[in-house]
Amino acid sequence: MDYLYDGTFEGLLTCIYYHYKKEKATGIFEVKSYQQSLINDFERIETDANKAKIVSNAIVNKISREAYVHIYYCYLSSNEQKEIIILDFLIFAFKYGNNTMNFYSHEKVLPINEISLKVSREVHKFLGILRFSDIEGILYAKFSPDHDILVLLIEHFADRYKYEKFMIHDQRRNKAIIYDNDLWQMIDVDVINELEYSQNEKLIQDLWKQYFTNMAIKERKNTNLQFQFVPARYRKNMTEFH
Amino acid sequence: MDDNIFEKLKILSDAAKYDVSCVSSGVDRKNNTVGSIGNAAACGICHTWSADGRCISLLKILLTNDCIYDCKYCMNRVTNPTNRATFTPEEVAELTIQFYRRNYIEGLFLSSAVEKSPDYTMENLYRVLYLLRYKYNFWGYVHVKGIPGASNDLIQKTGMLADRMSVNIELPTRESLSLLAPQKKVENLLKPMALINHEISRTIDDKKHFSNTPRFVPGGQSTQMIIGATPDNDKTILNLSQNLYDRFNMKRVFFSAYIPVISAPNLPAISTMPPMLREHRLYQADWLMRFYYFKSEELFTETEPNLDLEFDPKMMFALRNMDKFPIEINKASYEELLRIPGLGVTSAQRIIRERKNAELSYDSLRKMRTVLKRAKYFITVKGKYYGNINFDPDRIKDEVRQQEIQKQISIFDLV
Ligand code: SF4
Repeated sequence: MDYLYDGTFEGLLTCIYYHYKKEKATGIFEVKSYQQSLINDFERIETDANKAKIVSNAIVNKISREAYVHIYYCYLSSNEQKEIIILDFLIFAFKYGNNTMNFYSHEKVLPINEISLKVSREVHKFLGILRFSDIEGILYAKFSPDHDILVLLIEHFADRYKYEKFMIHDQRRNKAIIYDNDLWQMIDVDVINELEYSQNEKLIQDLWKQYFTNMAIKERKNTNLQFQFVPARYRKNMTEFH
Repeated sequence: MDDNIFEKLKILSDAAKYDVSCVSSGVDRKNNTVGSIGNAAACGICHTWSADGRCISLLKILLTNDCIYDCKYCMNRVTNPTNRATFTPEEVAELTIQFYRRNYIEGLFLSSAVEKSPDYTMENLYRVLYLLRYKYNFWGYVHVKGIPGASNDLIQKTGMLADRMSVNIELPTRESLSLLAPQKKVENLLKPMALINHEISRTIDDKKHFSNTPRFVPGGQSTQMIIGATPDNDKTILNLSQNLYDRFNMKRVFFSAYIPVISAPNLPAISTMPPMLREHRLYQADWLMRFYYFKSEELFTETEPNLDLEFDPKMMFALRNMDKFPIEINKASYEELLRIPGLGVTSAQRIIRERKNAELSYDSLRKMRTVLKRAKYFITVKGKYYGNINFDPDRIKDEVRQQEIQKQISIFDLV
């Protein structure tokens, strides 16, 4: 049976629940990207928070918190096979219990580790390269990450800008986090028009650009290395590359 | 900010950019002061990379380049005709906070030439920190230079507000120092280091008794020396670093390849290339001393007081100490594993972790993504040697050279 879910983490966990309690899954897919197969039947699964909770508790208690985090990061990735990778991992992991993560290189464990590493690398990168501008006192940042990492950024920036108002906008997924006074919220956002920067904002941006250009030591120029660290696709929203 | 701000920023960041330390790590502090801005993440965040591929994480500037001293190797020395500029403390604080709000930087690295007198300069540095911390409520990362010769009181006050403080040792020997920086006395450099170290341990001690005692430079102190301006060898340099780590609890000793900017009788000619590779090797060796349990004296012999430029220090160590190898992967301790060329902390930890399940085979090492290209010449797995050649330093060198050539070819293929 192919199980289809709504794209939420709880939805995915609900499918895992049915895999164990009802019928084995031949695959798990997001509804909107599902292509019907000739061999397998499919069933659309309603997300059920209670069933999801049972599964997440089982993961934390029977396997480990570390495994749970890896699974969550893997879910946030843009890997097209992620659901089946998670399912395969769990089938293996429920057998080996809290010893599972010691099988780092096992074929059922390695993919989870590697994907979640990619996701956390992207998170770490964006902690640095996300750029805010001051729009009438509100700090606004836009970006287009490879993976769905918005939710993983909030803790850091909520601490960094505790007493500011800010908004981080994922343009690829048309959603944003808004933060004000210790509270944050995820919202859907369509297009935001090109913003007009104030005089002062432009001044600061220009100072930064000048500083950035000036910091490079000519004798050691190495743009290849620079591209390794800041790939072209990330530069679009970085003030200093314009 | 006045109209000159671009000009000032240009001059004073230019003057600071050869200062190597971009590291903002070592302090993990959550923002828990009401109304304040900033946290300091211990993992060290790079905000961008300049065209030379270096990470930028801090606003790195001098407060002033208007110097009364005459260090021969320095652009800012009093006898060198160059453009001079001085920030006001307000300007530095404002720039920092505005860059920080936009996530351009993790914090400030503030250095300075000696304007008027050491105390005058230190007082202004203190002003900057005071404004940042109390006017702007900024609790992001700040690294400030301690000016040798400034009064204890000023260094003490400033240190209470900084995350890290550094006094540059500048050159590795007394002779070199008196030749090139005649106004700087070794004693004047070591005195503030000792003071900083003393204050650090004092506030750590106090904290055990009074939980709200503020910490003195919680990120510790670091220092820096110039490489290649004088004939001092690597052994002298690394022995001194070891000493500084041991005596003053230095967090980091930084090296800076000397870039000839002026000609002077005792300095390398202007056309000399900066010894970049040597600097890189020194950092690798320093890394081995800090994280891989190496001691500086182990790296050298009577006849070889310098690191090998061709091979990295760990490889060099192995080649100079063949009797300590090959190392058996299934038996070696963690420290021993770390001595294997090409094998890093992650691999060593993985090996320890995974061999608890079952004895490791050569294949399982590969699957763990352990890089075996170099390691294979220095290990056995279940007693078997996989190097494919005799265990002989010259043969191994040849093989590794071959690998390097192939690597270069494949890079050229790409471009
Ligand atoms: S004291 Fe510092 S700024 Fe002044 S000349 Fe010496 S090295 Fe340069």
